[in-house]
Amino acid sequence: MVIIQALINGVLMGGVYGLTALGLTLIFGVMKVINWAHGSFIMVGMFAGYWLWTLTGIDPYLGLIIIVPALFLLGYFVQDALIKPVFRSEVGVREPIGVLILTAGLWLFIDNFALLLFGPFYRTARTPYSGLTYDVGGLLISAPRLYAFIITIVAAYVLSTFLKKTRLGIAIRATGQDRDTASLMGIDVYRIYNIAFGIGIAITGLVGSLLVPFYYIHPQAGFVFDIRAFIIVVLGGLGSVPGALLGGLLIGLIESVGAQFIPATLTQGIIFAVFLGVLYLRPQGLFGFEKEW
Amino acid sequence: MQVKEEKINKDKFARSFRSPIPILLALVAVVFCIPLVVKDPSWLQLAILTMWYAYLTCSWNLVGGFAGQLSLGHAAFIGIGAYTSTALYLHFGLSPWIGMFVGGAFAVVAAITVFYPCLRLLGAYFALASIGFAELIKILTENTTKIFGIEIRGPRGLSIPPLGHAPFHYQFVNKAYYYYTILIMLLIAWFITYRISKTKLGYCLSAIRNDVEAAQSLGVNISKCRLMAVSLSAFLSAIGGTFYAQLLLYIYPEAVMGIMLSCELAFIALIGGRGTVMGPIIGALIYVPASELSRIYLSGGRFLGVHLMLLGIVVMAVMLFQPGGLMRPIGRVYTRWVKKLEPRVQKV
Amino acid sequence: MFTGRREFFWKCLSVVFLSLCVITFFLGQVVKAETVKEVKIGNVLPLSGDIAPIGQVGKMAREMAVEEINAAGGIKSLGGAKLKMLYADSRGDPKIGATETEKLIVRDNVVVVTGCYQSTVTYAATAVAERYKVPFLVPVSVMDKITERGFKYTFRLAAKASWWARDQIRFIDAMGKKTGKKAKTLALIYENTDWGQSTAEGWRELAPKYGLKVVLDEPYPHAAPDLTPVVIKLKNSGADVALFVSYAADAILLTNTIAEMKVNCMAFIGSAGGHADPTYLKNTGENARYWFDVAEWESDIDPQSQEIAKKFYERYELHMPAEAVDVYAAMYVLANALERAASTDPEKIRDALAKTYITTGPAMVVPYEVIEFDESGQNPHASLVIVQIREVGGKLERVSVWPAAAAREGYEPIWPIPGWEQR
Repeated sequence: MVIIQALINGVLMGGVYGLTALGLTLIFGVMKVINWAHGSFIMVGMFAGYWLWTLTGIDPYLGLIIIVPALFLLGYFVQDALIKPVFRSEVGVREPIGVLILTAGLWLFIDNFALLLFGPFYRTARTPYSGLTYDVGGLLISAPRLYAFIITIVAAYVLSTFLKKTRLGIAIRATGQDRDTASLMGIDVYRIYNIAFGIGIAITGLVGSLLVPFYYIHPQAGFVFDIRAFIIVVLGGLGSVPGALLGGLLIGLIESVGAQFIPATLTQGIIFAVFLGVLYLRPQGLFGFEKEW
Repeated sequence: MQVKEEKINKDKFARSFRSPIPILLALVAVVFCIPLVVKDPSWLQLAILTMWYAYLTCSWNLVGGFAGQLSLGHAAFIGIGAYTSTALYLHFGLSPWIGMFVGGAFAVVAAITVFYPCLRLLGAYFALASIGFAELIKILTENTTKIFGIEIRGPRGLSIPPLGHAPFHYQFVNKAYYYYTILIMLLIAWFITYRISKTKLGYCLSAIRNDVEAAQSLGVNISKCRLMAVSLSAFLSAIGGTFYAQLLLYIYPEAVMGIMLSCELAFIALIGGRGTVMGPIIGALIYVPASELSRIYLSGGRFLGVHLMLLGIVVMAVMLFQPGGLMRPIGRVYTRWVKKLEPRVQKV
Repeated sequence: MFTGRREFFWKCLSVVFLSLCVITFFLGQVVKAETVKEVKIGNVLPLSGDIAPIGQVGKMAREMAVEEINAAGGIKSLGGAKLKMLYADSRGDPKIGATETEKLIVRDNVVVVTGCYQSTVTYAATAVAERYKVPFLVPVSVMDKITERGFKYTFRLAAKASWWARDQIRFIDAMGKKTGKKAKTLALIYENTDWGQSTAEGWRELAPKYGLKVVLDEPYPHAAPDLTPVVIKLKNSGADVALFVSYAADAILLTNTIAEMKVNCMAFIGSAGGHADPTYLKNTGENARYWFDVAEWESDIDPQSQEIAKKFYERYELHMPAEAVDVYAAMYVLANALERAASTDPEKIRDALAKTYITTGPAMVVPYEVIEFDESGQNPHASLVIVQIREVGGKLERVSVWPAAAAREGYEPIWPIPGWEQR
């Protein structure tokens, strides 16, 4: 009984983790870039959702209509203004480490700028969904987490379809596979990067707002999700949407079910151990493909 | 005849300036004399911290710069060193001077078993793996109270009883002793880096860094070179960890194995110029005092976290404008200055 | 040679760097200017980082006390010398705390140091002060070992961490005896740093002595994104009483998740820290009702406390937490010692502190009878109060309920607390 409860919780949280990884895997897969500031953008999404709810009373789920496009634009701009120049200067280099460092600087900047603006106090949004649970035969299912999970599945499906069926999506995948050939085919590589980054950040905005009903809001709240997102992306295989979801579920389950048997502090250790194991044995992740890059 | 000889001599003089060695020797002499003049312990502490960071970054540079793989988990080695020497000292009474080599050995073992296999991963993956490695070590330490009866005390850390002036126990009251210790360590690390950059190992690493397959086709023994770089780097970092433990007399996992420490090393190398010999030192000279200054004058009160925000901006600026680190422009200025010297000499 | 942008950048950076050097040099000279008629007190606090809120509160409490002291004439035995407070940011890092303490002593010539809220920082900083033979007054930090090193210059006002655990267990026992509903099993849920671990150690030691069995011992990483697994474990353990050690973020998460998962226990007892955070009640609301917490102090224990709490609220618009009270009292303890020492010689101040014996005055805002320091520098009388979150005038508040002498008029502890179904 307890295990089932833990399982349910693990699955729901796993979905959220998977969503955080979704944006990252797209960015990672297309641009081969680690976005160290990913957690910071989740935090931006959180604050956006929080302020929207507190100042205007718009339902946090409806507010997504505003937040997601706003963060897309933010991502587009950041990529265009900051990342592109560094990227360009490293065109010959196989691994754009410079961008990793740049995003690390971005992370420091965004987190501490938020600290300056909003102060270090913790906030929570008391929405009508907070604390709501559904009782299913003795098992308690947290409503906001359930909604987050459903939206995650939907988002993953939409993204997947977008990447497979639309021209833009195919262009993105093509650029990810081989940018030189893609460029030869007439694709504006840098514009694609802008869009991909924008989508990735839009997804983090989505995650951030989904967290608002059941999590606290704080300038440094995004960092923890950051590390997990990286681990999940590697586990699932970069560029793989189902991989991100399944990786997220795996982490969520380890955290939730594992904690029933060992102290919570050790589950973290297990997550890292699994991560290292996968890197060692199957670096392309559980669902990725051997990519020549 | 005489005129020609003079000219040759002066040419030689100018040429000797092209090599930075005499200048560096002069600088080192100056640095050695500082504690004789500056007695204020807080300035000495700043200098010690700067040199400590420079030392750690030099050892980081062997992997992050020369081998070209961005490691964000070097704090693991620092922590292993600090914990090994401290635990052995507290439990067996083994002098940290010896314990630090044991710590170094453990770090090398960890490096060879976990770190080295990850080197074949590509850049971004390797960075993540190094983070995972460091965090894992940290979590394991935090969850361990005893290993084979030796106290580790998890997150509560280990504290070393202060004994005042006890050279055999690696403790001093006068900061000057710590200053000289870390200065000598730094010089050794710098020297090692310098020698490597001029010998076969350095060229091999450089080749591997640029193009692994090409290097392999030329007969470079990839694994051997990488092994050497990683082991050396881990060993030196561990010794740096012991120094820290003896300086502060109190260590706990977050302080010596934390991710911020690893990131700081990477940032310093970047700012100075990773893969260069002087880079880490220049980077530390810029980063550490700036970080201290900004913390004193900019943080607290209304300006929470401004110093970190500025660090973020600086890092971004460096990456945007001067990704090779500040070593290059400084090197260029130096060369320009030397060139200016030459015509003046030749005019005679 | 240089491209325009690069050259410009490099020039800017070198100019900035050089200017910073010059400015620091001049600022250093200015700071060194000698000032008489002042007693310099150094204060090391976490003014940035994620514990910044409590560091800021510590600063506020100090300033309030010092203003009062200075307005009342300063240190009369020193000709009305005013207290001058110098603050340094520890950033929550013992390394930095130690460096800052040293700076305050050597560069700014403070004669006394106070700080640093976080036990790990205080531990390192007091060692520095001991080396320099400058007295260090610890108002808040609870790590036992701070006053167990045979130091001569460290004085602590607050209770030791192990005493918190002791008073919590005593409370559980007393409640069992009083209401006849005895608790038999305990769940220990604590964040995984020194604070949590040392408190948990205290619990583990004492529990069997009071006939309590520990059925769940759960350290958790305080920066976890989801603490539901811990709560599920708690529910499954069926423990009678759950004891917590949490910082603000995890306290909020745990309280809300416990309500969500409808976990029923006879009592939930926090150990201050996050549970006493000013934003805790705002972020948990109804979910925190009936929770117990331990405090060094609560504003309702006597009229003097209420007055000071009101003053603090009027000035800063924040409810005065117990840590702030310890700090406030500590400033008065310092003033008292300075009066008796009649000197700015750290040795004499140290001796005066050692002989402290205060039973009246503003420093007695603390809930116990006497302030003094034993040979190890510890205040042996420091004791604690148990509060419960109850409704007062339509709002949820922390109400002192135990021991009876400190309890608010008309409020008795509700034990056991009602289950979720009954609310």
